[in-house]
Amino acid sequence: MAGLRIIPRLDIKGPNLIKGIRLEGFRVVGDPHHYALDYYRQGADELVFMDIVASLYQRNNLTDIVRRAADQIYIPITVGGGIRSLGDVNQLLRSGADKVAINTAAIARPALIAEVSERYGSQCMVLSVEAKRIGPGRWEAYTDNGREHTGMDVVDWVMRAVALGAGEVLLTAVDQEGTRKGLDHALLQAVASRVNVPIIASGGFAAAPELRQARDAGVSGVAIADALHWKRTSLPQLKADAQALGVEVRL
Amino acid sequence: MTLIRSPEPIDLSAFDLPDGETQTRYGLPHEVLFCKRCVISNQRPNSAVEYQHTKASKKATIAFDAEGVCDACRFSEQKRSTIDWQDREARLAALCDRFRSSSGYDCLTPGSGGKDSFYASHVLKTRFNMHPLTVTWAPHVHTEWGWRNFQAWLHAGFDNYLMTPNGRVHRLLTRLAVDNLFHPFQAFMFGQKSLAPKMALLHDIPFVVYGENEAEYGNPIGDTTSARRDWSYFAAADRSKIHLGGTSVQSLHDDFGLEEQDLLPYLPADPVQLERKQIEVHYLGYYLKWHPQSCYYYAVEHGGFEASPERTPGTYSKYNSIDDRIDDFHYYTTFAKFGIGRATYDAAQEIRSDDITRDEGVALVRRYDGEFPVRFAEEIFRYLSIPAKEFPVASKMFESPNMDRDYFMRLTDSFRSPHLWRLENGRWKLRHTVFGNG
Repeated sequence: MAGLRIIPRLDIKGPNLIKGIRLEGFRVVGDPHHYALDYYRQGADELVFMDIVASLYQRNNLTDIVRRAADQIYIPITVGGGIRSLGDVNQLLRSGADKVAINTAAIARPALIAEVSERYGSQCMVLSVEAKRIGPGRWEAYTDNGREHTGMDVVDWVMRAVALGAGEVLLTAVDQEGTRKGLDHALLQAVASRVNVPIIASGGFAAAPELRQARDAGVSGVAIADALHWKRTSLPQLKADAQALGVEVRL
Repeated sequence: MTLIRSPEPIDLSAFDLPDGETQTRYGLPHEVLFCKRCVISNQRPNSAVEYQHTKASKKATIAFDAEGVCDACRFSEQKRSTIDWQDREARLAALCDRFRSSSGYDCLTPGSGGKDSFYASHVLKTRFNMHPLTVTWAPHVHTEWGWRNFQAWLHAGFDNYLMTPNGRVHRLLTRLAVDNLFHPFQAFMFGQKSLAPKMALLHDIPFVVYGENEAEYGNPIGDTTSARRDWSYFAAADRSKIHLGGTSVQSLHDDFGLEEQDLLPYLPADPVQLERKQIEVHYLGYYLKWHPQSCYYYAVEHGGFEASPERTPGTYSKYNSIDDRIDDFHYYTTFAKFGIGRATYDAAQEIRSDDITRDEGVALVRRYDGEFPVRFAEEIFRYLSIPAKEFPVASKMFESPNMDRDYFMRLTDSFRSPHLWRLENGRWKLRHTVFGNG
């Protein structure tokens, strides 16, 4: 796709859009549908819905929210959280999701990546990664919304998942998430330089100049939550800023 | 004083009896109830005077009302409805005006640099223009992130005295508290309660301000009507009544080789002096509506506070009580003794704060409560071991000075109460759970 995609990320808990810091301390922001619709109308390129407690509570309840959104929103929708089987994927796609993002279940059983990709196409299979920094230039993949170690190196894991059929990577920097301290550019670069599927950078977005850095790091989309939910900026503003910085975006 | 025996395999027949015929221990209520609003059970002990805590102690437990709602939930209700927070804040401002100094420290705020003490001290300094001296009673063994948060706190603008007790004495008292009371946190609690008033005396700072009020977590609701801390928590008048680790001060001296000076950090402040110097102890939670999650946001925003890099074993949370490696074991022991683990405490608090729903809380308790804390286990067992080389006198008092997983698990079983536990195909199961049939 031409241009950098700006992707509002909506983390959901129960009926609510929520936001935390480093995936902890969730605050209720509001009605997810209201926010999704608003972002669509403002020119979002895609949306990500993430049921952030699905793995934690071992349940998935986004179907209704997705169905409602897909009814009125005509941009690609990625849905993640608690997806464990082809049946789960099927149900979400039938509800109107275009892509599914899988983390915990893919780590538990990497073959799921191949199964989803073979059945629905790799463009549908988004690998969701919760990357926690463990040393200079080293990140560990976490599960259960940044709560459980896996001992797996993020770069190794992404390469393996892409080889299995993951067609896109939603790369969340746990240390940056919700902090407004900036994207983890070293992480983005480390991953983007090793695989040739689209990368969506998530976690820590603070200000427009980072969009250019993200593009230069080789990512194709930036997921933004905090800055949009708390109205620190808006999508039209971000896109105007991006253009002014020489970053191609869809207007 | 007789030798402290290694725990023997326990008599299992008591755990085979039907619910109606089982014995209870620690004075716990025989019928297990769960609060209708949160997930706490009526087995939760109130804080008590730890200096009187012995093997024979009976617990007072959290009160439930006729509607089956616990005191802590009732208190949250008051926080939301009847309490006039504007009035309370005005009273705090007046109190600060009374103590504010232009040259010296004018309030003393104890804490660890966790989210709550960060908030308390920072609000006093920035919103009420006070000049706090912060004091810290060291954890048994800092976590790396706890240490970084402690440093971040001071670098956010505070002077601090860190009191670290003699490691050998602290280990011995903790081991005794584990063997006698199954209470690995007790030695810490002594200092946590007594350090601030003692430092207030030492530094002539008559205004001591703690963070939240203990009633939030289920102490009698009457406690909250006055912000003055109950003196009896830390001011024992008669030293002969004092026990540490369930062992009398006399025995610690005669049998375990401790000198009078070794116990200084654990002894309460002298009430006569506290009276004479008119030391006042207040809870900020009485004056300001306390919300732990907001303290997390506040501490991140103003001090770079970091959540732990993984969830704490036995629960789901990453921001709550994360600075001491022994903490994991504290909650493991409350699970064995009272059937209440860390996830129950965390979820109950977050339900009361409206951060999660009761259904979520129940799911979290089911998933995490009572998980054995593997991550620091070997280190903690070494910490709890009393080798002869380091403890020439005290080690002779233990049949097995060495602590290991096997010893700890046998000890765990010896503290289970039959009215809470039964053995099912060789696995311990709670008879009553908030996610089961109650």
